Amino acid sequence: MRPITILLAATIALTAFQAAASENARDIVKAAIDQWRGFSSRGVITMKIHRPDWERTMTLRSWTRGNDESLVRVIKPRRDAGNATLAKKGSMWTYSPKVNRVIKIPSSMMNRNWMGSDFSNKEISRSDDIVDQYDHKLMETRRSRGHEVYVIQSIPHEEAAVVWGREVLKIRDDNIVLEHSFYDQDGAHVKSLLTQAIGKSGGRTIAIRQRMSKVEVEDEWTEIRVDEMEFDIKLRDTLFTLSNLQNPRE
Amino acid sequence: MIATSGIVFRLAWRNLWRNYRRTAIILAAIAAGIWAMIFMIAFTRGMIESMVSDGIRSIPGHVQIHHPDFRNDPTVDNLMSRPGGELAASLDGKDVAAWSSRVRVPAVISSERGSRGVTLVGIDPVAETSISFVADDVVEGRHLEDDRDRGLVLGRRLLERLESDVGKRVVVMTQGADNDIVDRGFRVVGVYESEIASTEEAFAFAGRATLQELLGIGDRVSEIAVLGTDRREAEQLYLRLADTAGADVEVLPWYELNSYLGATMRTMDGFVIVWIVVIFLALSFGFVNTLVMAVFERVREIGLMMALGMKPRTIVAQIVAESILLLAIGLAAGNVLAWATIYSLSDGIDFSFVGEGLEIMGAASVLKPSLGIGDVLLSTAIVLGLGFLASLSPAIRASRYQPVEALTKE
Repeated sequence: MRPITILLAATIALTAFQAAASENARDIVKAAIDQWRGFSSRGVITMKIHRPDWERTMTLRSWTRGNDESLVRVIKPRRDAGNATLAKKGSMWTYSPKVNRVIKIPSSMMNRNWMGSDFSNKEISRSDDIVDQYDHKLMETRRSRGHEVYVIQSIPHEEAAVVWGREVLKIRDDNIVLEHSFYDQDGAHVKSLLTQAIGKSGGRTIAIRQRMSKVEVEDEWTEIRVDEMEFDIKLRDTLFTLSNLQNPRE
Repeated sequence: MIATSGIVFRLAWRNLWRNYRRTAIILAAIAAGIWAMIFMIAFTRGMIESMVSDGIRSIPGHVQIHHPDFRNDPTVDNLMSRPGGELAASLDGKDVAAWSSRVRVPAVISSERGSRGVTLVGIDPVAETSISFVADDVVEGRHLEDDRDRGLVLGRRLLERLESDVGKRVVVMTQGADNDIVDRGFRVVGVYESEIASTEEAFAFAGRATLQELLGIGDRVSEIAVLGTDRREAEQLYLRLADTAGADVEVLPWYELNSYLGATMRTMDGFVIVWIVVIFLALSFGFVNTLVMAVFERVREIGLMMALGMKPRTIVAQIVAESILLLAIGLAAGNVLAWATIYSLSDGIDFSFVGEGLEIMGAASVLKPSLGIGDVLLSTAIVLGLGFLASLSPAIRASRYQPVEALTKE
């Protein structure tokens, strides 16, 4: 073989490998998201919001179906009980029994935090943007405690509605996201979602406890703990409607 | 008659310099008064000019066309189609310097560290050049190139609040055509600066077609901004466009689009006259006093002139001539002084130490006095007119002396 042919062959092989790697990385991310959301789910979640001078804990009941339908209702504490959020196809509505009104979250509020937590309304209402609006790249594969851990760098598309410069996901080979870090466009680490406990719930191995914390602000975080969860159950179509948001039947 | 007026004038002139000290003092008073009058008028005019021209650049345009409900509810629900037919033809008229159609929606811009509500304006940068302020004021990066430009131009202050920078991406979120939330990443391609800091935070600019695509509104627009050739002829332009625009749109001139600005402009002319009269009233006490003294001093002399056959009317003419001469010299000196002051300040006076207060009124912090020839003529005419009236009383009094009594007066 002439050197130039070798070079060409090598280039083609490399390109093919890279495409495969990128395809692979996307699949890993997609599998992780699917594992987390499932076809459908129903469960009870405890959310703890921590600030240097206060802390509050809320218990929530949640339903999800597919990637774009979710309903969350507050059970505890008593004074917030009944507050609910419905997210459907990128739009979001809230209901508060105190005012007995359903309010559509306007675009101007989508970046505000959800119920005072470190999650924005947008992060609550859309979970699958990460699959299609980013270019994924497998950076390395590590071995840790008997599992393969994939480190994937996801860079948002030029016109994706994402403010971050890049996001780094660490995903275990059983599709559990161990870490999801957000970096700004200068490459500075801004915040991270860290999985702190992994366990079995609803017949699946999932992240039982996750904590979102900002890197630049100390001692402020939001923790989400899964108390019970069922997956792939049949949910009524009327569940994700505005009327059910206002008058809960389940 | 000519001989008489020659004598009257010569006598008036000589009398003026007989007591040169008194004349010099009153001349100084008149000159200072005129100077203050003209300078203050020029200063106020300059402030209002800058308010109005900045105002028109941020409206923007002399006349705007909207959907009738747009001004009450500036959202994507109240749009209109781009001008066609008769309206398009009348927009190409001779009295139109430039016009541009724009999309204007409330939006939220967010970066990694913040988010802010702004008015997002989709413009056609080429047509927009002479109409609004953006084009000349892009200080970093570049301006939008055409209406399909995918970039975003933000104000300096907004960029600082967002802790973002030129070349970085931000996310724009707003309400789309069917009330859905639409969002997209935009790269900040340019930064503009404005003399009024609040503007920098209020407006973000994107390509018109890009924004129409994002909102899903087809080729419809929110407003048409029309810049006439002369601000003073905005009314005719407005009437002409209102005639051809049809009933389904609302056509408004700048002074109704920003009624505060319009009212300020209208008040200004009245204010100038009030200002001149107030200063003159203060001045007239000294002025009349000077003339009365001059008459008292010359009772015997006036008696002698009357005894020699000078008519009372000529006496009046002589004293009036004296006062007009005094005023004319004072006016000339005052005007020269005012011109000199304004000329030396033609670069503008920096008021940035009270800049925030001026911004509330919509004025820039560097004020350039602006002197209109109309204001100068008006103040000169008013001063001469009122001066004439003020000098009549001592003049008439002098003309009523009885020659015999006057001559024997000690």
